[in-house]
Amino acid sequence: MGLRRAGPGESGAVTLHVGDAAVARIAAVAARGVPGVVSLRADLAQALLGVAGAVFGQDRDGVLSADGVSAQVHGGAADVTVTIVTRLGDNCRDVAIAVQEAVSVALAGQAGLDAQVSVLVADVLLT
Amino acid sequence: MEAVRERMEPRVVEKLPTPPRPDVALDDATLVVRAQEGDVRAFEALARRHQAVLYRVAVRVMGDPAEAEDALQEALVDAWRRIGAFRGDAAFSTWMYRIVTNRCVGMLRKRRPVPVDGVADAGLPPAPDDPARAAQIDAELAALGRAIAGLAADQRVCWVLREMEGLGYEEIAAITGASETAVRGRIHRARTRLAEVMLPWR
Amino acid sequence: MALEELLACGRDATAAWDRAVAGAGPDEHEAGCRHCRAARADALGLDAVVHRMAAQPVEAPPSVIDRVMTAVVSELRPHDVLLLPSPHGPNRLSRPAAAAVLRSVVDGMDGLRARSCRIEQSERDGEDDAAVGSAVDVAVTVTGRFGIDLASVTARVRQMVVAAGEQALGVPVSRVDIDVVDLWD
Repeated sequence: MGLRRAGPGESGAVTLHVGDAAVARIAAVAARGVPGVVSLRADLAQALLGVAGAVFGQDRDGVLSADGVSAQVHGGAADVTVTIVTRLGDNCRDVAIAVQEAVSVALAGQAGLDAQVSVLVADVLLT
Repeated sequence: MEAVRERMEPRVVEKLPTPPRPDVALDDATLVVRAQEGDVRAFEALARRHQAVLYRVAVRVMGDPAEAEDALQEALVDAWRRIGAFRGDAAFSTWMYRIVTNRCVGMLRKRRPVPVDGVADAGLPPAPDDPARAAQIDAELAALGRAIAGLAADQRVCWVLREMEGLGYEEIAAITGASETAVRGRIHRARTRLAEVMLPWR
Repeated sequence: MALEELLACGRDATAAWDRAVAGAGPDEHEAGCRHCRAARADALGLDAVVHRMAAQPVEAPPSVIDRVMTAVVSELRPHDVLLLPSPHGPNRLSRPAAAAVLRSVVDGMDGLRARSCRIEQSERDGEDDAAVGSAVDVAVTVTGRFGIDLASVTARVRQMVVAAGEQALGVPVSRVDIDVVDLWD
């Protein structure tokens, strides 16, 4: 992620480039905040095994972890795929739509990017 | 995308009533079909249900708890990978017995060959790596264990399945892929050999 | 081809051994035959220690299952998906996860346990977003408690699966086939 200051002779415009990794993190934080999202893909093993932290250890990057999200930025747009785990009782279709919307809002607001978001519900917890 | 930017509040997801979870344990046939259709939890239930028996067989065939643990672990992962091939004509337990015993035989074959003169060792007390433990364990039981370790792999498997697991000859034949006659032959030769080696203990 | 294992007197060695350890006394032949008596002595001499070994409790180390399930989960590749409709482009739902949801709904019904659950979604042209994520056909096999009214129960299963498809998954269910494959008590 880079911030390029206007050089001498240029107008006062500042160009913001937001890279794939940053976009993925923004998307991940937004997705996790959606009601009905239990966790993102990397936590799937823990969710299935019911053993918090013991199998894979803590997320390397803590709350900003982008595991479960892949992003590609091109120009002013981003393609984002988010893999989530939901819980029985919440409507998969609706949670997925909510994630698409939350991620789009976050990327538009924080990175100025148009986002094409695709969600995969990898598992539905039954308990 | 414009419409999305204007909608600031998160979409509310309604909570739906969830059905009660039944406590009745599911039978093997049901768990197998579910596992075949990708249900990981069903496979875990199967693995938990059968692991004690499979581990017991592995320990008695390998004679070593660490190797038995490896054999069990690899057999279970193997079972998951191949569960699609399980046809349900035989019992799931028969299929699992086959996977774990095949793995044990493979591991035995990779070991250094057992010295031909295994008879001489059988009567001696166990080497005291851990003197307290050596004193604790039943010396005769340890001798039997060493005698079993002197058996050829295929005899060992059949003998363990018969004498330790109490399985019938027909089932052992199904597990090992040998004829019932061959199974009886292996078991008889194993029994005779063990009786000979254990003679000092009679 | 292996030969039958026979004692020198021609008797079946394996059978004689099995009879001896089962506690059967020697029959008329065995009482008088030195081969059979020796074989019986072998059998009975070994029997006690064999039983002691068989009776030893052996417990699988608890960490084995954890390692097995870690390997299983790490190998999961959810390529097998159903499409979920969305105004922002279709989303995807793991088919095994959807099947597990429907099975749990059936399991929640008194007297029934779901076994197989197959979900088929017809393919549609990707042109119209609204059409993608089209209705599914569901085929379940179930086992039921002996004595339940199969006709009324299957009608209820059908209703439950359609409701669950819409409410829990968000996918319309156009067809439910139910096969009762076994009964239990």
